[in-house]
Amino acid sequence: MNEFVLALAVNGLVWGLIIALIALGLSIIFGLLDVINMAHGDFFMLGTVGGLAIAVSTGSFWLALLIVPLIGLLLGAAIEWLVIRPTLRQASLTIVTTFGLSMIIQETVRATYGPQPRRMAAPIDGTIPLFGIDYDLYRIAAAIFSALCLAAFFLFLNRTKIGTWIRAVRHDPETATSLGIPVAQITAFTFALGTAMALLGGVIAAPITTVEFRTGIDILPFCFMAVIIGGLGNLQGTVAAAIMLAVLEGLVTSVVDPTTARIASLAFMSAVLLLRPHGLFSGATR
Amino acid sequence: MTAARARLICLIVFAAALLAVPHVLPAFGATFWVNIVAEILIWSLLAASVNLLLGFTGLLSFGQALYFGFGMYGVALSINNWDVGFLPALLIGIAAASAMALATGIFAVRLTWHYFAIITVVFSLIFYFAAMSTKWLTGGDDGMSFSPPPVLEIGDFSLTLADTTTQYYVILAVVAVAFAVKALIVNSPLGLSFKAVRENHRRAALIGINVFRTRLVAFVIAGALAGTSGALFAFFGRYASASYMFYHVSGEAVVWAVVGGSGALLGPLFGAGSLIIFREIASNFWENYLLAVGAITILVVMFAPRGIAGAWNDMLQALTTRSGHASDTVADTAPAVRNNALPEER
Amino acid sequence: MAGAALRLSGVTKRFGGLVAVDGVTIDFAGGKLNAIIGPNGAGKTTLFNLITGEIPADSGRIEFAGKDIARLKPHQIVRRGVSRTLQIKSVFGGLSVIDNIRAAVLTNRGIKAPFRLVSSFKSVSARADELIEEVGLTGHRETIASALSYGDVALLEMALALAAEPKLLLLDEPICGMGPQETERAVAMIRRIAKRIDVILIEHDMEVVFDIADFIMVMAQGGILATGTAADIASNLAVQEAYLGSPEDELAC
Repeated sequence: MNEFVLALAVNGLVWGLIIALIALGLSIIFGLLDVINMAHGDFFMLGTVGGLAIAVSTGSFWLALLIVPLIGLLLGAAIEWLVIRPTLRQASLTIVTTFGLSMIIQETVRATYGPQPRRMAAPIDGTIPLFGIDYDLYRIAAAIFSALCLAAFFLFLNRTKIGTWIRAVRHDPETATSLGIPVAQITAFTFALGTAMALLGGVIAAPITTVEFRTGIDILPFCFMAVIIGGLGNLQGTVAAAIMLAVLEGLVTSVVDPTTARIASLAFMSAVLLLRPHGLFSGATR
Repeated sequence: MTAARARLICLIVFAAALLAVPHVLPAFGATFWVNIVAEILIWSLLAASVNLLLGFTGLLSFGQALYFGFGMYGVALSINNWDVGFLPALLIGIAAASAMALATGIFAVRLTWHYFAIITVVFSLIFYFAAMSTKWLTGGDDGMSFSPPPVLEIGDFSLTLADTTTQYYVILAVVAVAFAVKALIVNSPLGLSFKAVRENHRRAALIGINVFRTRLVAFVIAGALAGTSGALFAFFGRYASASYMFYHVSGEAVVWAVVGGSGALLGPLFGAGSLIIFREIASNFWENYLLAVGAITILVVMFAPRGIAGAWNDMLQALTTRSGHASDTVADTAPAVRNNALPEER
Repeated sequence: MAGAALRLSGVTKRFGGLVAVDGVTIDFAGGKLNAIIGPNGAGKTTLFNLITGEIPADSGRIEFAGKDIARLKPHQIVRRGVSRTLQIKSVFGGLSVIDNIRAAVLTNRGIKAPFRLVSSFKSVSARADELIEEVGLTGHRETIASALSYGDVALLEMALALAAEPKLLLLDEPICGMGPQETERAVAMIRRIAKRIDVILIEHDMEVVFDIADFIMVMAQGGILATGTAADIASNLAVQEAYLGSPEDELAC
């Protein structure tokens, strides 16, 4: 019984790290463009589908891992330019736009890829003994890789010029403009980056989840929970919240059914929204 | 001919057309379409609940499916468990939805902008999951069916929903009353306070309006509209299912409201009507017609944010040339909420 | 209207480490046209925001009509008789002029009826028309507020403030952004109104202030620097220094 609970906790940790990556993407989009991206979960789904497709056609998962995020960057930039930017004028309706986008993405995948859910073989075989059970080696690898990506993201944000520009624009767009920062391009890049992160999360998760056009629907609320509970604008908080929520939900699932666990998380999120709208962790910049 | 006169004439023609549907359509061999129009009428009320909040009060709710669900289950559960008649069941459904709107609105309305939209989704998800997991009560995904009681029973004479024409007229009657009530409210002092809050919530407070209370009242009325829609839907399908409480249903209602024209009274009817008709026709030869719906949504936001009704009103206005005058539709569907926060509030 | 129109005791507001309003204590007498002046950042608008309840004071009392209104909500304070205009003119842009004012009059009269048409309230429309006349917006009855010129928006905002039947009117830079003609009109209107309603106004235009104000309070860095009549203030060295200390363009509205 103990091992079972531990396994759930480790599962939670693995998923928490992956979702942290996706939620960060959502957070930077929400934080900089002020857009609720209802299609963000579908970007994740595209990552799983793309990952499977490329892995199957090229025979290499690693190639997929490389290519899919790049596709994400291009896709995100295109969407920002074609869809998001023209509709930013109707600021309150951006949620409607992204909802329409979500519909398009889901249907496109359903049309081209088909409605059948598929599973993907893990690129790394085997298990590793962990806390008395045999745990999937791939999941451990996925967790480590996600953690590395998270670290790389924060390094990028804090140490590079573009990362600094992104932080500047998020903090104060007007001052940023007067400092000569190309706000429009940074905005486009941020959306592209957020998209790429969701797709990256999708590729990493592809071997441990079902690949089908509806996968995004489940992920979206979870990402929002992480962003809200972590605190809008508080990126580290989002990561912490994602991991915490995933581990907790995993542990709670050992006692109650998943649906009840999900309801509890949602109720918790409502409480945070109402009582501490800046998130649980102090340090939110908005 | 003034724009107002032209609009009134169009309204009368439209109403007459709706009344004639069960007699005219079958003549064209399209009896099936009578039920489609009935469905459009039902869904238009859900879109109307979004429209009341978005276009008239400046609040974008992405969770109206929750109150739709309560209306639906109010009818189904009361008929199955207490054997009530048609009208009592309908009223119970509406009351359940309104009560739920009050209970959730007290919390939701404290938030604004994106946070309001998010919490409406979260609330609807909570109850969706709850409904899904209490299968013994709600039937979960599969739902629960019931036999609808007769609408009217006088001695030997009875009107039941089994007859397509009767069902259509019952639905039309309820929907017409609902829209009439909405029209009255929107043009009343209460409606004016909604619009004031939408336009400038800071200025609204500064003329003495209790902004929280005003938004809550709007939220409850919208809940009642959504509940009416759900109740009618239960009667129409003779069943209730938790899957109708998912956020996709809320989202569709938002799309209908926006495409139809979120600031216009009959916008929801146009939005639901055009997109459902599109669905019926397109799904025959294109399985993935939802792709087009998504594209239409985006294009409407980009190029015609005031929707069909907005464009229609503009056209009528242009044809009857009275410029610079106030019209019933709003000048701008995007609420100016953001601009009126105190500097310290951000 | 004799007796204190408004009495502030030790009103303080901090934003993080910054003290925006620093223990302000003052009586604004009734029956006078009061003005608050001071360099930018002195805390004048914050003081107004505290009085109207839009931000909560950290400490102090704000007494109006014998009651401490410091903890009340904005709409409650309006109902008690304190009305206000904003620095950036604020009206209901998507509604017509008459609907703007009707909304204010209906609220003032506590009319919230959901099942009667607005147009059926004849006395409300009559009062709204009266106010349109009073502020000088005749001829713009049906115009959508967002289509009005800047000066007319200011007039509409004044009408909204008056529709609440205030006993005290707070005007935040009422002639900001106006040309000479509009300024003349606005000043004449303020003078007229001040005869029957207590007025406190924030203003940057010294000429106007010295011309119409009976009583002037000078604020600087959150506190009161000086008070008195126009003559007192004009000859006050500390006041002159406070203004000289700030860059030229800070004095612009």
